[in-house]
Amino acid sequence: MPDPVSFVPPIGPTPAPLGLRTDRPAPAPDPSAVPTPLPQTGPDQVALSIDGQAVVVPKGTTVLQAAAQAGILVPHYCYHPGLSVAGNCRMCLIEIEKMPKLQIGCATTVAPGMVVKTRTPRVVETRKGIQEFLLINHPLDCPICDQAGECRLQQYEADYGKGFSRFTEEKVHHPKRDDIGRHVKFDAERCIKCTRCVRFCDEISGTHELTLYDRGDHTIIGTFPGKPLDNAYSGNTVDICPVGALTWSPFRFKSRVWFLKNTPSVCTACARGCNVDVATYRNRIHRLTPRVNMEVNRYWMCDDGRRSHEALYERPRLERPLLRAACGEGPQQPGTRDEAIERAVTVLREAGAEGGASQGTGAAGGSAGVVAAIVSARLTLEDLVMARRVLKETIGIDRIVVPPHEAGEDDDLLIRRDRTPNARGALIAGIAGPDAGRLRELVQDIAAGRVQGLVVVGEDPVGDGLIAPDALRRLKAMVVIDWWRSPTAEAAQVALPACGYGEHDGTVVNFEGRAQHLRASIRPPGEAEPAWRLLQSIGQACGLKAAHDSATTILSEAARSVPAIAGLSAQSMGTAGVLLKGA
Amino acid sequence: MAFEPLLTRNIHKENPASIATYMASGGYQGLARVLKEFTPEAFVEEVKNSGLRGRGGAGFPCGVKWGFLPKGLDKPRYLCVNADESEPGTFKDRLLIEKDPHLVLEGIIASAYAIRCNQAFFYIRGEFHGPCRTFERAVEEARAKGFLGKNILGSGFDLDLIVYRGAGAYICGEETALLESLEGKRGLPRIKPPFPALIGLYGCPTIINNVETLANVTLIAERGATWYAGIGRPKNTGPKLFCLSGHVKRPGVFEAPLGIPLLELIHEHAGGMMHPDRPLKAAVPGGSSMKILPAANCDVLMDFDSLAAAGTSLGSAGGFVMDTSVCIVDALLNLARFYAHESCGQCTPCREGTGWFVKILTRLENGDGQPGDIDLLAEVASRVEGNTICPFGEAIAWPVQSYVAAFRDEFEAHVTQSTCPLGAAAGRS
Repeated sequence: MPDPVSFVPPIGPTPAPLGLRTDRPAPAPDPSAVPTPLPQTGPDQVALSIDGQAVVVPKGTTVLQAAAQAGILVPHYCYHPGLSVAGNCRMCLIEIEKMPKLQIGCATTVAPGMVVKTRTPRVVETRKGIQEFLLINHPLDCPICDQAGECRLQQYEADYGKGFSRFTEEKVHHPKRDDIGRHVKFDAERCIKCTRCVRFCDEISGTHELTLYDRGDHTIIGTFPGKPLDNAYSGNTVDICPVGALTWSPFRFKSRVWFLKNTPSVCTACARGCNVDVATYRNRIHRLTPRVNMEVNRYWMCDDGRRSHEALYERPRLERPLLRAACGEGPQQPGTRDEAIERAVTVLREAGAEGGASQGTGAAGGSAGVVAAIVSARLTLEDLVMARRVLKETIGIDRIVVPPHEAGEDDDLLIRRDRTPNARGALIAGIAGPDAGRLRELVQDIAAGRVQGLVVVGEDPVGDGLIAPDALRRLKAMVVIDWWRSPTAEAAQVALPACGYGEHDGTVVNFEGRAQHLRASIRPPGEAEPAWRLLQSIGQACGLKAAHDSATTILSEAARSVPAIAGLSAQSMGTAGVLLKGA
Repeated sequence: MAFEPLLTRNIHKENPASIATYMASGGYQGLARVLKEFTPEAFVEEVKNSGLRGRGGAGFPCGVKWGFLPKGLDKPRYLCVNADESEPGTFKDRLLIEKDPHLVLEGIIASAYAIRCNQAFFYIRGEFHGPCRTFERAVEEARAKGFLGKNILGSGFDLDLIVYRGAGAYICGEETALLESLEGKRGLPRIKPPFPALIGLYGCPTIINNVETLANVTLIAERGATWYAGIGRPKNTGPKLFCLSGHVKRPGVFEAPLGIPLLELIHEHAGGMMHPDRPLKAAVPGGSSMKILPAANCDVLMDFDSLAAAGTSLGSAGGFVMDTSVCIVDALLNLARFYAHESCGQCTPCREGTGWFVKILTRLENGDGQPGDIDLLAEVASRVEGNTICPFGEAIAWPVQSYVAAFRDEFEAHVTQSTCPLGAAAGRS
């Protein structure tokens, strides 16, 4: 089993080897070739021939989609499967027998017996023409363009471009670096007016900020005067922009895209669990982009999720264990991992002992009500399973509270009111769902001095304003496991460094009960390690007989004993996740 | 045989636009006849039999177009009148709207009856302030007389008409851009199919007819298909308004049967060439978006099929005449500027191609052209042609192709002499 902490090469779609691109213009099919006989079809199917291949597709499919199904990529700019058809780029013009004019594949519905040709000299010539048209007024500033490397203009120029320009005049000039929205910059000169962004705002976000102004080659995308492109999903316009016209401000000039490595993972900003590609370079996450999953997020993700990794670089990291003599007093000193684990166990024992619990069962022995824990629904299922085993079953903490994190309401598209990624996982792990009432009681008991010891995993009740720093002085023990030096971690007697987003493997269960695989894409800083491993060490010091070396074995063990996740594994989740039975 | 004016019969009368003038010469009797003697379907047949072809530009048979409406669909049907006359050199619909609006209105009502439409729209070019007021007044008059509204002439047929002014875009004369504009959106042509007869205004079956076409429907309503089909030439029937401008003595709108020779139009109706010492160099018989005919090829008949055979098209019959003082490159540049300004910018070839034409032609006209420029011009045109969403692309690609083909020597002279041989560049502002 690979060590989840150490850097794991990301699992992602393997790029096609050079020279094997399927959309490269092929030599014209031999006209003397015998046409492929079309198979019989069901009542809701249509059989047609595309480049001599027999293809059977459902009725209503477009030629472009049917070709894609047959492995023939018809080049296109304006077509996007998640948006209405605009048919304006004209790049997907293809030849259909018995039709005198070329037809656009994106808007032409298949018909029985249709004979489609996507690579004839006439089609290729037309594509060359479109490509040239798109570039005559384009600034050709690839060397300073963030889109370079994932730009359709570049991609198709390789296939259909002249390699030089026959356009010798002054180009049409438009605004550049226009702050069209809070996170989005617009370079109108790079824009090819495909209107994907306009259609996104009309059809998906429903916010209608964008439109076209002016006419002819002066056409420009814009917002209503004085109104920015500002909606919860604005980043998607950048993703779907096939060229460098719309760029995501936080990513501008951060990395060339060909240096980025994409790891398929899941966003943890809310209970939706949008599928994402985590793009990393030199052990840093540079951006999150949505990864298609028609069951979860389709093609989209929200701006908050897209920025969720930024906390990793904005907040002070907890990179090694910190220790102090008593709660809230004196400065924290760095310590070794062994010291920290030992100190954690010791102070928790003392807190339990001073609470007058009987000796015997667990290490802190019957600490019910005296030692409590706050555990986050932002942890992975593996962390939560280990938290149950260690905190509840080994140390004997009965009072484990999961704080809710809610904001606003569920919207119509993706964003969930529940901002934790794994509330369902907390229930499955046998801890509890987020519960505001139990949290309130615990906070009151801490303030009243009725709690002696507190374990906090992945939460920041002090920073969230739930627990006053004064109240913490009344605790005899406080052990915190978190990825950053939160106010809570800074108040702790023992603060243990955990992995942040993208630094560890694990499982999260979204609001619908879909288990999805969170994949490590970067190495954690310093001595940080997965929360489950820190918890396991505390447990081992208290007599726990467990020695997991990876999240995988925790999951497979849990999958044997917890019916809700029976048989669950990284393999069964794949990159699309799996809906749990009874969810 | 002297041709009896039909479409222009009222224009020289006093108060030609008033309903009193119109009714005094038998106006609205055709409508009464249709409502009384014809079922809607029978009148569609009548129009089919008349051979009336659309006067908007494409020359599609009017009755056949009406027949494309789906049957048994539980949706309203709309009739949209295309009065967005904006083609340079075309000004025939304006004449009808200004001088004889009731002739148009009667045709609208009869056509709406034929296609079972109860709501018609009159989409008029934004710049037509005066004609629009005239037409609105005519609508009020017709409404007061009971030709519009509920139960027209006791037939049980209801029709209302909304006059809608465009905002000044040439492209809104393209029928689907017109529909978008009418729906309150940016005037961008739609992808076809679906055609408007199936999915048109507000997603409902819609017929879009040109003003002059509908005025011809009035004539058919009055005197029947057989009489109508006797005018003009086979498959090119009826009277036609021909616009003629440019280097003629008497530019204007002339009514004549389809099939009148172009030279007769120039020399008899329009009074001949403006300057006796400057003979005809070329003519564009169909309107600015059609192909040019050099003088040697101008002996043609002005109807749909004859002009198609001559390699051009009747279009909207907005003809213009150029004498030998005209620099063809300059003329094409002037035209290209219009199309670059009016391209809606929606689809790539037209948006980029129209601007490119202007830039290449400016270079040529200024004497800065390179030897490859003429071929480049033709190649760009061939890459626009047929690859756009609407016919606007052809509306400039065809002129470019035909001007270059017919006057290649003149284009080459601009390159070899590094100046405009006719000095047009100097005189142009």
